[in-house]
Amino acid sequence: MAQLDRMPEPMRSHLAKLPCPSFKTQPWVSGQPLAHRRVALISTAGLQRRGDRPFEGMTGDYKVIPGEIEAKDLVMTHISTNFDRIGFQQDWNVVFPLDRLRELATEGIIGSMADYHYSFMGATDPVEMEPAARNLATLLKGDRVDAALLVPV
Amino acid sequence: MGALAHYLESEGIPTTQISLIREHTETIRPPRALWVPFELGRPLGAPENPAFQRRVLLSALELLEAIQGPVLVDFPDEAPEDTAGSGEGPEGWSCPVSFSTETREETDLERLRTSLKREVAELRPWYELSIEKRGRTAMVEFDPETASELLSIFAFEGRLENPKADLSPATALRLATQDLKAFYFEAATARPGSASPASGEFSRWFWLETAAAGILRAVKERCLNEADDALRKTGAMFLIPMDQA
Repeated sequence: MAQLDRMPEPMRSHLAKLPCPSFKTQPWVSGQPLAHRRVALISTAGLQRRGDRPFEGMTGDYKVIPGEIEAKDLVMTHISTNFDRIGFQQDWNVVFPLDRLRELATEGIIGSMADYHYSFMGATDPVEMEPAARNLATLLKGDRVDAALLVPV
Repeated sequence: MGALAHYLESEGIPTTQISLIREHTETIRPPRALWVPFELGRPLGAPENPAFQRRVLLSALELLEAIQGPVLVDFPDEAPEDTAGSGEGPEGWSCPVSFSTETREETDLERLRTSLKREVAELRPWYELSIEKRGRTAMVEFDPETASELLSIFAFEGRLENPKADLSPATALRLATQDLKAFYFEAATARPGSASPASGEFSRWFWLETAAAGILRAVKERCLNEADDALRKTGAMFLIPMDQA
């Protein structure tokens, strides 16, 4: 369980103390019905294409994952050792549900899938991610994305 | 995760997200979030369960049609149990590959090293079968023999024989550790008749019953005495999970 009150120490205190900003504003962008949306996946599981440079530190950078990638070419180099990895080792969709998203696009439940998806390494202080996130917004607009699904690990 | 959503939405990209730690999401207040009661590492709930994954995915995507926000919705169901291994007896999953008892309790470092070599050799054919069956491996940088040798030599001789010149010593040790664990998992679960363990069952076996875990603890101790900050930090945080320290 990921509920803090069900989690054993020292993990519980570690997670409770992670940097966690609060914001004065709550941005809100409306959009079309789901069936017309173009969806990109953004993971914080430290995913990357096999052969890319691995994640090495908490620098807030991200990796690009092409939409046509196959499971055998997607690997995980997140630095943390405190979350389950055997789920991902059995089935990438439990972390990065690209096959499920493809099905929803084929069935017309979403409009389309983005050409590119992205992965950060999530243990990073969110402040470190801000410049990269704002830069990423430009790339998503260039890909005509109007729905970003963020998936933690 | 929620901060990323805040930044993207403020740049004009509509976002929705899965939340694993509700307390964090309550603080950050991203525009749209689906909290799920699943284990860390499994945001879609369960591997090899497309129907369940689809429900989670759709529940998160449907928040995009909310009229106003921020919205934080709870997914109603726990992840389906990993029942595949629990039919075999009251102990649940047991690893089909068992290593002889005297090596498990071996403390002499040289013999631990020999045991690791034997474990890797015993598991190797099952790893080959796993790749055939699954069509992929989660090992990233090293083959099983290179990963185990790199870790052994560092643990016992303090030398890092890193064949990947572009990786720092700390990154090479961390990725060799992750690769070795992935190798043990893929090999141990590839044997005919073996079922998928729950994550806790695999962890207990790996950390309590293999020579590999003994080697990793020795690597950690060695790292903690190194002059290099990155190695000390890796030893302290990135090799052994908190609940196995």
